[in-house]
Amino acid sequence: MSVTAITVAGHEDAPSAFTVARLALARDLTLAYRKREQLIQPLAFFAIVTTLFPLAITPELSGLRPIAAGVLWVAALLSALLALEFLFRDDSHDGTLEQYALSGRSLTWLLFAKTAAHWALTGVPLALVAPLAAAALGAPISAAPGIVVSIAIGTVALSLIGAIGAALTLGVKRSGALLSLLTLPLSVPIVIFGARATELALKGESYAAPVELLAAIAVLGLTLAPLAAAAAVRISLE
Amino acid sequence: MTWTWFHRLASPPHVYRLAQKLTPWFAWPAGILILAALYDGLVLAPPDYQQGDGFRILYVHAPSAYMSVLVYMTMATAAAVGLIWRMKVAHAVAASCAPVGASFTATALLTGMLWGRPMWGTYWEWDPRLTSELLLFFIYLGYMGLRSAFDDVQRADRASAVLAVVGAVDVPIIHYSVVWWNSLHQPASLLRFGKPTIFISMLIPLLMMFLGFTLLFAALLLTRLRGEILRRERTASWIEQAVTS
Amino acid sequence: MTLSSFLRMGGYARFLWPAYGITFAVVILNIVWARRLIARARTEALRRLAVHGESS
Repeated sequence: MSVTAITVAGHEDAPSAFTVARLALARDLTLAYRKREQLIQPLAFFAIVTTLFPLAITPELSGLRPIAAGVLWVAALLSALLALEFLFRDDSHDGTLEQYALSGRSLTWLLFAKTAAHWALTGVPLALVAPLAAAALGAPISAAPGIVVSIAIGTVALSLIGAIGAALTLGVKRSGALLSLLTLPLSVPIVIFGARATELALKGESYAAPVELLAAIAVLGLTLAPLAAAAAVRISLE
Repeated sequence: MTWTWFHRLASPPHVYRLAQKLTPWFAWPAGILILAALYDGLVLAPPDYQQGDGFRILYVHAPSAYMSVLVYMTMATAAAVGLIWRMKVAHAVAASCAPVGASFTATALLTGMLWGRPMWGTYWEWDPRLTSELLLFFIYLGYMGLRSAFDDVQRADRASAVLAVVGAVDVPIIHYSVVWWNSLHQPASLLRFGKPTIFISMLIPLLMMFLGFTLLFAALLLTRLRGEILRRERTASWIEQAVTS
Repeated sequence: MTLSSFLRMGGYARFLWPAYGITFAVVILNIVWARRLIARARTEALRRLAVHGESS
């Protein structure tokens, strides 16, 4: 999908920021589909990390069930972090990101689209796979909807705040540790509310309260994070 | 519109000279206040009903924790000013803040641990105050790590400024979520170790400490700021006169 | 109050004095650090000016 379609398309028609964003989203999804075997990697990482906990602690499901929510969230957080490095990598290498910044289109909306694509490709699969991991940790199947909802909303917020970190560390060599150091403390509220929601879901209780707080954070992120990420990208491209 | 004072703050030589003049006005009162607060807090203030003389750790723990937040908010404000108005001096202020803030955050953690050991039996508890301070410490480390990742000063300034502002929005949310998280798991029987019931005689040394530390921060900031400005301004014409005077 | 009872701090001495010690060590460190920063910046600036003075 041509970048020019996004950046040059019809100056006379002046496509709205939303149209441009939609094109960027479609582009990212298409490009990811062409390398779809790579989409498995964050999921495989999630599965491996989840597996490590029983190996490190106990094989007894009764002992794993109490920590299952926490384990799921730490594994999801680490997987999301891993996947963040790819958010801007290809586009910054081939100059697309620069084109986005120079295009005169809203960089905020373009980055919002990229983050949405990233969430669709990593957060959503994580949320769908998580109930399986939870079951392996002793969770009941009835908890599945709650697990999916809490992790799906939480990963929205994670992708958003992670995008800021990824934009800030663009071009920094071996930025993995720095990106983690920047993103993880800022993600603490997401982990706290998300894990609490998942825990309540595992117990079969109502998880509405923490999920609502989680959703509030996600909404705050939706409004502010693409702005901050756009500022960060511009700074990185100077 | 008397904005001239603000615009003059954008001029490095002006800020340098102003900082030079103001520093002793902050430094000396800071020293006097802190020493007076020390005497008042350690000698004059009566022991607490529950914690005896142990509560006096408050007189170093609370000011350290206060500093960790004060410095961060100063850093974030300066960062925002630097980003919005593109003022180099504002970025220099932010850069000067970080090491001071980080060191006092570490102090707050260590003094908190030393206070916790006699009060609740272990050096570490995941209580909301200590946990928030720990996270703030990580945020300072991230800020300084991001700064050092860039050779170009301008890029380091602006990237870390974005981070500081994002952090400033997030820190209250983090604190609230940590308090909420901690309240979920409060066993009712556990004796909550909080601040002792404060009487005026105990409060005055604390306030003096807070004020003294604030003035100390101002003096430290102004000193570091001068050094930062000298480094950044390189061979600007005003420097010769400034350093040889 | 005697000196020894003051130092004992009602039995909390081994926590209280290290706490005060750490805090004031950090205060002193910050002061030293700041002063060293500006002193070094000044010598660097003087050196730069000397170099420029010769070459100009």
